Amino acid sequence: MSEVEVNRAEANEIWRSALRSRSFVIGAVVTVVFVVAALVSFLWTPYDVTELVIADRFKRPSAGHWFGTDQFGRDIFSMVMVGARTSIAVAVVAVGIGVVAGVPLGLAAAAKRDSLLDEVIMRSNDMIFSFPALLIAILITAVFGPGVVNAIIAIGIFNTPVFARLARGAALSLWTRDFLLAARVAGKGKALISLEHILPNITNLLIVQGTIQFSLGILAEAGLSYVGLGAQPPLPSWGRMLAESQTLISIAPHVAIFPGLAIVLTVLGLNLMGDGLRDILDPRLRRARN
Amino acid sequence: MLSAANVNLSVFDTPILRNVAFEIGEGEIFGLIGESGSGKSMTAYTIMGLTPVGSKRSGRIVLDGDNLLDKTEAQMCAIRGGSVGMVFQEPMTALNPVKTIGEQVGETAMIHGAMGRREAAALARGTLDRVGLPADRFPLDRYPHELSGGQRQRVVIAMAIALRPRLLIADEPTTALDVTTQAQIIMLLRQLVSEDGMALMLITHDLGVVADIADHIAIMKDGEVVEAGETVSLFRNMTHPYSRALFEASDHVPDRTSSQATGDTPILEVADVVRDYQLPRTSLFAPPAHFRAVDGVSFTIRRGESLGLVGESGCGKSTLTRAILALEQVQGGTISIDGEPISADAEIAHRARRKMQVVFQDPYGSFNPRHRVERLVAEPFHLLSEKPSAGERRARVEAVLANVGLAAADADKYIHEFSGGQRQRVAIARALIIEPELIILDEAVSALDVSIRAQILDLLADLTARLNISYLFIAHDLSVVRAITDRVLVMKAGQIVEEGPTEQIFKAAQHPYTQALIAATPNIDRALAARSKGAAAG
Repeated sequence: MSEVEVNRAEANEIWRSALRSRSFVIGAVVTVVFVVAALVSFLWTPYDVTELVIADRFKRPSAGHWFGTDQFGRDIFSMVMVGARTSIAVAVVAVGIGVVAGVPLGLAAAAKRDSLLDEVIMRSNDMIFSFPALLIAILITAVFGPGVVNAIIAIGIFNTPVFARLARGAALSLWTRDFLLAARVAGKGKALISLEHILPNITNLLIVQGTIQFSLGILAEAGLSYVGLGAQPPLPSWGRMLAESQTLISIAPHVAIFPGLAIVLTVLGLNLMGDGLRDILDPRLRRARN
Repeated sequence: MLSAANVNLSVFDTPILRNVAFEIGEGEIFGLIGESGSGKSMTAYTIMGLTPVGSKRSGRIVLDGDNLLDKTEAQMCAIRGGSVGMVFQEPMTALNPVKTIGEQVGETAMIHGAMGRREAAALARGTLDRVGLPADRFPLDRYPHELSGGQRQRVVIAMAIALRPRLLIADEPTTALDVTTQAQIIMLLRQLVSEDGMALMLITHDLGVVADIADHIAIMKDGEVVEAGETVSLFRNMTHPYSRALFEASDHVPDRTSSQATGDTPILEVADVVRDYQLPRTSLFAPPAHFRAVDGVSFTIRRGESLGLVGESGCGKSTLTRAILALEQVQGGTISIDGEPISADAEIAHRARRKMQVVFQDPYGSFNPRHRVERLVAEPFHLLSEKPSAGERRARVEAVLANVGLAAADADKYIHEFSGGQRQRVAIARALIIEPELIILDEAVSALDVSIRAQILDLLADLTARLNISYLFIAHDLSVVRAITDRVLVMKAGQIVEEGPTEQIFKAAQHPYTQALIAATPNIDRALAARSKGAAAG
C-alpha cells in the first residue's frame, strides 16, 4: 500500500467507526441542527425578530408561533434561531482563542520545564486565573464598551490558561516516556517533538476539555448577556432571553423554557460529540471496539 | 490446608482459567510458575475473590474446610488480610505515599482484629521488627518515600503477615527488585514461613527463584496447569514439552562465535567521564549540593564487540547511557564515537547519533501509540541530511523489518497490535534502520518473558554476526549478560569496580561486589544441587 492508500484506508476506518459510535451520532445530529438553525437565520426566520406586535403577546405555542411569543409579541422560535448564531459564534471563537493561545504556551512550558520561560508562562496564567471570568469581562466591557466581540475576547482570555495548564500537565507526563527519548536520539528538537509526538497524544484531552469549555462558553455568553454585557438589544441571545423572562415565568413559562432548552441541548450535544470524537480518533480505542 | 479443584474462570465469556487444581499444605511453599498471560495472577485473584467485573467462577477453593468461592463479599473482606495475606509485585505503588509505614501496617490489624490504636501500633512495631526493619532505624513514623525498594517490599510483607495469616500469596514479590535485594526478600519469606507455619504461594516467572525455596511447583500455560509436582523431582524429570521449553529458555545461550571483534579499532571510547547532578537548593544562601552519578568511568568498545555493563538500580548506568547518547552534558572526561568526540551540542550530537542508536527496556512505553510502524521505524531518518523518498523509505522499512523477523505488512499496523516481544523487535528495527555502528541496549530484554527473551537474544546474536554491529548491553541481570557479551563491566556507585572477559568474571570474580552479585543471581542448577546435597545430608 502506498502512503495515500494508507491514509484513505484510515479515513474510511475513522468514518465507519464514527457511524458506529452512538454518542457521536446523537451529539453530531443535535449540534448540526443548531448550526443549521443558526446559518438559516441569516437568510430566513419565520418572523422578524425586531418586529413588536403587542397584541400578540404571551401567545402559547401554536401552529402560527411554534414556540409561542414573548412579552412584546416577538416570535420565540425566530429568536432562538438568531440566538443560536450569537451563542455558537461566541463559544467557537472563544474556545478557538483559548486553544490557539493556550496549547502552544503549555507545550513550550513543558518542553522547557523549570526554566524562566516556564515560570513566566505559568505565573501569568495564574494571574489570569485569579480573576473571576465575569470580572475580566466587566473590565473589558468597561474599557471597550459592551458587545458580542468584547464578550468573545473576555471569554477567550479566560479560556487560555485552562488549555495552557492542561497541555503542560499532559505534556510533562509524556516527556518522561521512552518514545520521546527515542525521538531525541533520532535527532529531533524539542519543538518538533512537541508537534509530532506530544500534540497527537494530548488531542483526546484537548477535545474533551474543548467541549467542556465550549459549553462553559455558551453559558458564559448567556451569563454576560444576562447582566447586560453580551449581545446588545435588539440582537437576541439565549442568555438575555432567559434574563428577560425570569420575572414572567409564572404567567408564561414557555418564554423561559425554549431558550433554556436550547442551551441544555446544545451543551449536551457538544459533550456527546466530544466524547465520541475522542474514542474515534484514538487508534487503540478504535481497534478495541471493532 | 488450601486445596483448589476444578477451578474455572471466565471473564465476559473469555475463558481465563481451565480446571486449575493444586494443594498447599501447612508450612509449605508452593511455586506457581508461568509467563505473562498464563493466568497465574488470576489464580491468586480468584483465591482472594478479587476477580474483575464480568467474571464467572466455578469449582472449589477450600481453605481450612470452607469453600472460598461460596463466600459473600462481606465474608471475603474478613478473610482478606486476616487468614489470607497478599504481597504485590510493585513495592513503589503498593504503599500509600501519604501514610506512615506504622499506620499502614497497623491498619490491617485495626480493621480485622477490632484492636485499639495503641495495640495496633505495638503490633505494627513487632511486625516491622520481624521483617528486618528495626525500631532504631525505621521508626513507625517513616513515610514510604524515605525507604528503598527492598525496604518498601518488607513493609508490604509486614502488612500482609501482621495478623499471622494461614496463607500468604506473593505475586512476583521480587521481580521489580535488584538481585541482591531479591535474595534477601526470598530469605525473609522463607524465614517467616518456618516461624509462623503459614503456607506460601509464590507466583513468579523466574524458575531460578522457585528452584531454591519451593516444596512443590506447578507450571501454568494458557490458564491450565500443565505440570505439577515436588520441586526437585519435577526439575529432574520434566515431561510436558512446555515446561521443558521454559526450562531451556531460562538459561538460553544464543549461538554465537565468540568475539567477532575485528582487530582493535575502537568504536566507542569513554575516558574519565564524570556526571554531576546539582541537587535542588535546600537553603537560599548555601550553594546547592551535588550528586556524582558517574565518577571517572573509562572503557572502550571495539568494532563488532559486545560489551556488558552490569549494576544494580542507582549505580549510574542509565545516566552513563544518556551521556553517551549525548542527551546530557558531562562534567568531565570525554566520550568519542569512531574517533569523534561527543558533546550535547546539537550539531555534534546529531552527527554522533547517526553512528549509534538505542533500544529501551519498556516495549510498551517506547513507541508513540498514534503512529504506524512505518513512521515509527523510519524516525531516525531525521538524522540523515538527505531524507529518502517515500518509496525508498518504505523499501528500507520493509527490509529492516524482515531483518528482525517481522513481515512487510506489519509496517501498516499500530504498535498496540503487537505483543511485547514483537514490540522489542520493532524497537531493534528502529535502531537498525540507519545502519549504526553501535546499538545501546538499555535493559532491552529485562521486561520480556524467558521464552521471548531467548528469541530476542538469538536475534541480537544473529544481527551482530551478519552486520558486524557492536553492542553496549546494559543490564542488572548477570545471566543475560553472560549469554550475549564478550566482556563485562561491573558498576557500583558510579564507578567501574571490575572488568574483564565475561567467562573469566563469572568463573573467578575478584571484587567482593561482583562475587555478591553472582551469588545472589538465581541459578537453577546450583539451587537443585544444593538441595539434593541437603537432602542427602539430612
